[in-house]
Amino acid sequence: MRVRAMVAAGLVLLGSAAARAETVRVTAAYYSDKTGPYFEQMAQQFHAQNPGIDIRIEVVNWDNLLQKLQTDIAGGTNADISIIGTRWLLDFVKDGQAEALDGYMDQAFRDRFIGTFLAPGQIGGKTFGLPIAASARALFYNKSLFAKAGIGAPPATWDELRQDAVKLKAQGIAGFGLQGKAIETDVYWYYALWTYGGDVVRDGHAAFESDAGVAALNMYKGLIDAGLTEDGPTNYSREDLQNLFKQGRVAMVITAPFLINQIAAEAPGLEYGIAPVPKQARNATYAVTDSVVLFKNSKVKQAAWKFLDFLFTRGPRVTFNRNEGFLPTTKAAAADPYFTTNARLQTFVDLLPDAHFAPTVTGWEDTAKAVSDAVQAVYVGQMPPAAALKQAAAIANEALGK
Amino acid sequence: MRGRAGRRKAAAWLLVLPSLLLALAVLLYPFWEILRLSVSDVSRFGQVRGFVGLANFARVFADPVFRAALLRTLVWTGAVVGGTVLVSAGVALVLRQDFVGRGLARVLVMLPWSISLSMAAIVWLWAFDGDHGMVNTTLRTLGLLHGNVQWMARPATAFPVEIGAGILVSVPFTTTILLGGLSSIPGEIYEAASIDGATRLQSFRHLTLPLLRGFVNIAIVLNVIYVFNSFPIIWVMTQGGPDNGTHILVTYLYEVAFRLGRPGPAAAVSLVMLAIVFAATLLYVRLQRERA
Amino acid sequence: MTVRRLIGRSLLSWAALSPLLLLVLFPFAVMLSTALKPIDEVLAWPPRWLPQRLAWRNFADMWTAADFGTAALNSLGISIAATLLALAVAVPAAYAVARLDLPGRDLYRQFLLVTQMLSPVLLVLGLFRMAASVPFGGGTLVDTRTGVVLIYAAFNIAFAVWMLASYFATIPRDLEEAAWIDGCTRAGAVLRIFLPLAAPAIAVTAIVTFVAAWNEFTVALTLLRDPAKLTLTLRVVNLVAGRYSVQWNQVMAATLLATLPVAVIFTLLQRYLVQGLTLGAVK
Repeated sequence: MRVRAMVAAGLVLLGSAAARAETVRVTAAYYSDKTGPYFEQMAQQFHAQNPGIDIRIEVVNWDNLLQKLQTDIAGGTNADISIIGTRWLLDFVKDGQAEALDGYMDQAFRDRFIGTFLAPGQIGGKTFGLPIAASARALFYNKSLFAKAGIGAPPATWDELRQDAVKLKAQGIAGFGLQGKAIETDVYWYYALWTYGGDVVRDGHAAFESDAGVAALNMYKGLIDAGLTEDGPTNYSREDLQNLFKQGRVAMVITAPFLINQIAAEAPGLEYGIAPVPKQARNATYAVTDSVVLFKNSKVKQAAWKFLDFLFTRGPRVTFNRNEGFLPTTKAAAADPYFTTNARLQTFVDLLPDAHFAPTVTGWEDTAKAVSDAVQAVYVGQMPPAAALKQAAAIANEALGK
Repeated sequence: MRGRAGRRKAAAWLLVLPSLLLALAVLLYPFWEILRLSVSDVSRFGQVRGFVGLANFARVFADPVFRAALLRTLVWTGAVVGGTVLVSAGVALVLRQDFVGRGLARVLVMLPWSISLSMAAIVWLWAFDGDHGMVNTTLRTLGLLHGNVQWMARPATAFPVEIGAGILVSVPFTTTILLGGLSSIPGEIYEAASIDGATRLQSFRHLTLPLLRGFVNIAIVLNVIYVFNSFPIIWVMTQGGPDNGTHILVTYLYEVAFRLGRPGPAAAVSLVMLAIVFAATLLYVRLQRERA
Repeated sequence: MTVRRLIGRSLLSWAALSPLLLLVLFPFAVMLSTALKPIDEVLAWPPRWLPQRLAWRNFADMWTAADFGTAALNSLGISIAATLLALAVAVPAAYAVARLDLPGRDLYRQFLLVTQMLSPVLLVLGLFRMAASVPFGGGTLVDTRTGVVLIYAAFNIAFAVWMLASYFATIPRDLEEAAWIDGCTRAGAVLRIFLPLAAPAIAVTAIVTFVAAWNEFTVALTLLRDPAKLTLTLRVVNLVAGRYSVQWNQVMAATLLATLPVAVIFTLLQRYLVQGLTLGAVK
């Protein structure tokens, strides 16, 4: 009797599960206070078109994202789809966590993307991540401060940048904003490294301790020692620098296009221009994508894919890029008047041919950390550049390719 | 008679049982997990790939950042606990006397207890901000400073600030315990002592201090455990940087586990930390027993 | 004692406390000052203590941005439940330790001391796996407030039992024994005589546990997912951690508002806190 009742109850449960809508859980990274509302809105629009599928959104701060994903996956409670830093992708793939998406994509879907941005999400010839967000870096400069110091045009080379910074200093203005704290401290130095002709990683080994690397780091250290940067760079994260720039307290800063949106909202009176990263041996910039992945253990892959398909249509893409100030990753979004008529964003798009992406190698996090530590040690004067880089290279080589 | 005694003992255990079960249920499995992970090759996402013996421990001990963090943890724990006990003892001695506004003073001293550590760290981080922070502003207004100090830019200034914040948030709890200790000393003892001609200093040394010792011990043991494991202050203010210069073991552990994604070595760090606290506590308890 | 001596001592006492009090009040002043400034004044150079314009709307903005109301209710619910659960298991255990013939009492005490040494940060990976392996309401304990409550309670048992047991030991046995003679059962005597006497210690233990739960961060961060379940500490830290730009005025408004209830509790109960810990600490 009891057994029968239990079986009956079980059947009822099963039946109701089948009739219930499928739920797709999405972990989204927090980009700005518009991110949450955007994804909620997309979920609603999608649900209106696909009443059988519910989308549940969880927005997580970047600082906590990797921890959440790690614990979630270890506990088997991860969402179906997640935004991740593309630099983490290889770890997900190696552990068999990410689903290869090629089976879901047809050529038409592939063709939606700008090729440069699709490549970082591909590993071993398979596509594991789709570029949901993309940015490149350029030099923001304050036109009023430049005018005050009698400088006409933005610096094209690092030498010019130094001369400009000297003129700015004479006016009591910190010239070059140099990041020395928190995430991307290493990247801020790669700008110089790459333009000096160096590389971070080559053939699976650390390559940043090269002559170009030492020269680039010496150049930054020289700027600090001559008082041409803000005071105490190791106290400034990217966000802190951006704040200084918004307040007109530093004349130049290298950062991503999303600063444009922030300035428009918080310092609309600021007169500024955008120029390429100064060059030495060559032009270079850093391009970075964030990827969206589908987890292998998802039980609703088809439904999840449908939502991804929806996210990468024109409307949702344009809204996202416009909200967050990212570069378009699909051709349709790039063709939208919002971009074609926006000269500032075009500067970034024009830089893309010279862009370096973070390489997809294991141990990238360790490498980034080792380099950040090394440049910090140099900035505070604890170690000379060559020794610091050499030490970091040893640490990086230990982790790379493992 | 024996049956009744047995029943009583059983009843006593019955009362203890729920607490034991809850503690074991929540703590035993995670502890076992840490043990297991510490001797395994584990992927970032918790896949156990095999047994590696003590390799994780070897790897951790070979890391200069770990060794520096270990040393710094001792400095951190010693400085914060020492500072806390000293300040708290002084405060408790003052608060114990009767004076105008003592109730208010007690409330004020307890105030930091009401802010969570993470929020306190956020507020201090903001207060010590090099450009907009009120610490620099105040020091400048007082003429003690020209220009700005970028407090968090160097370990040499950041770490002492963190120690100070650590002391400040630990004072209320410690003061409360010591105040409790002081008020448990009956006033008659002092009257008797002063009749016997003892000076105030003498009665402090020979009466107050010995009677207070038990409380100081408790304060030290609890604080050592709390401070040694204290994560939010340093993590929020400097995340162990710049150049790893403010890492203590617990922030190092977090970084290894979740930033660098190495659960195996992280588990090894957990066990090392546990062994240290355990040994320190045992040693201290034993020392005190011998002295007593 | 003469009035003059009292005044002299009062001045001296306040003078001795003033450096500490300055440091204690400083962060509160910072919170208040920043919380009332509009953002352009927050980032203005040079910074000033007093806002030129009062931006009360920071509180409203923050309330929406952090979903403060929901988060406060979550924190309150979780902290109260964790406190009650911790007390429910700790009071009987402490009674047994203090009053009854408990074989293995020392062993139990040592076990408690060891659990006291385990901090959630050390175990966070394992805690999460455990929560993920316990079936609960159609899912697991992950992303449930119940899971958080269980863990908070478990981590507070050691302190609670230790506090309560040492206090219980100071309550004279004769009172209870007298009640037995009057025909009370042992349980009746505990309920009618013992517990009322133990109330101050129970109250203090409750406060300490409540505050610990209210302020906890790591476990909540690891376990909770659904925005509707996040606690206040999580919400406030989220306003700062890993954001592209931080609205410091809103953050300070949030910390101020999150701190206020606990500060009020402390102010009201400060006297009992000292009393309770006083007696509790004697072993």
